[in-house]
Amino acid sequence: MKLTRRSFLRAAATAGLAVPFTTRGADTGRKFRAALIGAGWWGKNILKEALASGRCQITALCDVDAMGLEVAAEQVNDLSGKQPKTYKDFRELLDKDRPEIVIIATPDHWHALQTIAALKAGAHVFVEKPTGHTVNESRAMVKVARDAGRVVQVGLHRRVGPHHASAMKFLRSGAIGEIGMVRAFAHSAGGPEKPTPNSESPDGMDWDFWCGPAPKRPFNTKLHPGGWRNFLDYANGQIGDWGVHWIDQVLWWNGGEYPRRVFSTAGRAIRGPAVRNDREQTTDAPDHQVAVFEFPKFTCVWENRQFAGNEAEKHRIGAYFFGAKGTLHIGWRDGWTFYPANKKEKPLHEDPQLQEPDGHNLKLLWRISSTPLRRPGPPPGGSSWRTARPCCPCWR
Amino acid sequence: MFKLLILSCTIVSLLTTSIRADDWPHWRGPARNGQSTETAWLDQWPADGPRVAWKAKVGLGFSTFVVAKGRVLTTGHADGKDTVFCFDADSGKLLWKHSYAAELGDKYFEGGATGTPTIDGERVYQLSRWGNLFCLDAASGRVAWSKNLQQEAGVRVPDWGFSGAPLVHGNLLILNVGDAGMALDKTSGKIVWQSKNKEAGYSTPLPVSRGNETLVLLGSRQSYVAVDALTGKEAWRHRWLTQYGVNAADPIVQGDLVFICTGYGKGAAMLKTGAGQPQELWKTKVLRTQMNPAVLLDGHLYGVDGDSTSPASLKCLEFATGAEKWEHSNVGSGALIAAGGRLIVLTATGELMVAPASPASFKPTARAQVLRGKCWTSPMLANGRIYCRSVPGDVVCLDVRKP
Repeated sequence: MKLTRRSFLRAAATAGLAVPFTTRGADTGRKFRAALIGAGWWGKNILKEALASGRCQITALCDVDAMGLEVAAEQVNDLSGKQPKTYKDFRELLDKDRPEIVIIATPDHWHALQTIAALKAGAHVFVEKPTGHTVNESRAMVKVARDAGRVVQVGLHRRVGPHHASAMKFLRSGAIGEIGMVRAFAHSAGGPEKPTPNSESPDGMDWDFWCGPAPKRPFNTKLHPGGWRNFLDYANGQIGDWGVHWIDQVLWWNGGEYPRRVFSTAGRAIRGPAVRNDREQTTDAPDHQVAVFEFPKFTCVWENRQFAGNEAEKHRIGAYFFGAKGTLHIGWRDGWTFYPANKKEKPLHEDPQLQEPDGHNLKLLWRISSTPLRRPGPPPGGSSWRTARPCCPCWR
Repeated sequence: MFKLLILSCTIVSLLTTSIRADDWPHWRGPARNGQSTETAWLDQWPADGPRVAWKAKVGLGFSTFVVAKGRVLTTGHADGKDTVFCFDADSGKLLWKHSYAAELGDKYFEGGATGTPTIDGERVYQLSRWGNLFCLDAASGRVAWSKNLQQEAGVRVPDWGFSGAPLVHGNLLILNVGDAGMALDKTSGKIVWQSKNKEAGYSTPLPVSRGNETLVLLGSRQSYVAVDALTGKEAWRHRWLTQYGVNAADPIVQGDLVFICTGYGKGAAMLKTGAGQPQELWKTKVLRTQMNPAVLLDGHLYGVDGDSTSPASLKCLEFATGAEKWEHSNVGSGALIAAGGRLIVLTATGELMVAPASPASFKPTARAQVLRGKCWTSPMLANGRIYCRSVPGDVVCLDVRKP
């Protein structure tokens, strides 16, 4: 496995969240004081698994939407019987609450600053993918994580999902032969987009803080809750969302080796031109994108499309590994399937084992108790931060 | 003499029932409680289900059906348009349709039309997710008047668009639009009263009598509120935070008790209302109705507990205490109504079940796979026919008339 200086941030492939405190011996069973920044839908899903691990107590929550924050605090109380402190400003949370673990589930444009602040405050970090909004943000996160001697776990649960692990074992067994090409993809339905009128942000929401380090734009219900993934000021569209998971499967398989060249093209042929004015807005992320990652021994193509979604293809999401002996598809709810090149052989298949909502494997990222508590050793060969932002700048 | 009088009254009412059609002209039915009094329908079916009277395709949506005077209406979305469909209730023949441009709005779900039309005599009212309000002629579908509330009144549209059906009260058309509703003159479309321009919730305005007055109960973004029907003046407000502001399920009222219940793990509360603000008598997390409200029969609630993303189940609760009586799993985000003391349940995967409403247990007397694909919309019974639809827009009308 090739190691580079960048490969510090540890993917979950081997050990789950490795908690490297100076705790030893007797207190390995204690609960860590954890806090959540970004108390939306996905943040709360992570938080539930943190609580379910039995190794965390949620002491504080942070969100710039007061209503969402109060709803989340009530849920923590329901689940744990303890009311967490609530903050609008993550800096105040870090300063006053001094959490040992910080979960970051804000929109992408906040990941880097919040991860860095949490690390500098001495916390270990669970940050959602993608790590940063730009490559340089991710590099800065790696540097601070290393300097602080803290562990950063990226929410790439597809590195630990049972059917992903067994598919990887199958790939590495050589059963599909030499691999010449990989095609990772995510397709869904969609059509032309009409602008939605701008409106006031919801009561109790600090929209200025939400925009934070990114450009401020008028509030629009297309942006919040959740729609920000389709706005390039705050995220990177489909390639920065689904693309991260599937390209990470490729880097997992190849040991994290870099591509030699990357190029990409994209557009809004069906959604239509992006609109942004004082009255109304559309999204501005592409409705389709193709990226080519040229590796020394194989080519990887990423493809996403949000139109023509009539299930014309056998699978609508995942990665095809094309080898001399056949094609392996690693998917989501459709598990993995191997289609042998030899027509006389029957396809092999394994079902997924997913958690709901949204078919994830977050639980496996919170197996703290099974991991010895120690300081982190030399960087293992993870590669998650690199997949954290595979989006190339070509399109913009 | 007294006995005779009672007997003759009974006969008169029986006669009227059999003569008068058991219509279901607006959301939640004649009494706005998800129930009808119709009893003469088959609750036992052959193995392959009841006879299919007719089928139709209406496009993507979540709107249920309304029936009056032999017409059945629902809505759907296709190709950038919402359409209100009016079919002959018996034959399924398309009588008219009315289409208007509407965005798909597929944020976290398939999108499409969500609101159910309301029939008021010879008029049909339809409020779209994006604030298009139409008054249509029930016989022809001709537009009597229309208004775009977003453009003409500047109202704020909640995240998933308006989804409550319009309520006709006297000469008013009351909508769950704004912080605590708005009312228009139903004949002219002129705005009569309006609440603060804040985001609405997703319930249908529910009228309740209080002395000589009528209050209208609404799920707002951060609370359930009661306003005077004629003036919009707020009578009370109970703060109720549900994730994303999805206060969607209509309250259930019995006397001065108001039961509110929402999803996303929130749960339910029993409010005692009177002068001043309501008092919370009890709270529970046993029932969390995300979209469709429960039904209340003989002191017991029957409803779907859980979100569309969870393996939701059907539950029975005691109305007085909130105590759970039973749970029937794997219903998913389905929905139910009741008629003649029996529950009619459509599961999220298109299985239709009929069972006596009993706190003792859930024992279906009939079940049939009537649709394929996702079903989140409540079934509807009117005049011996059950109407069901799937999210993609397959409609099936089942003949359950007694021979």
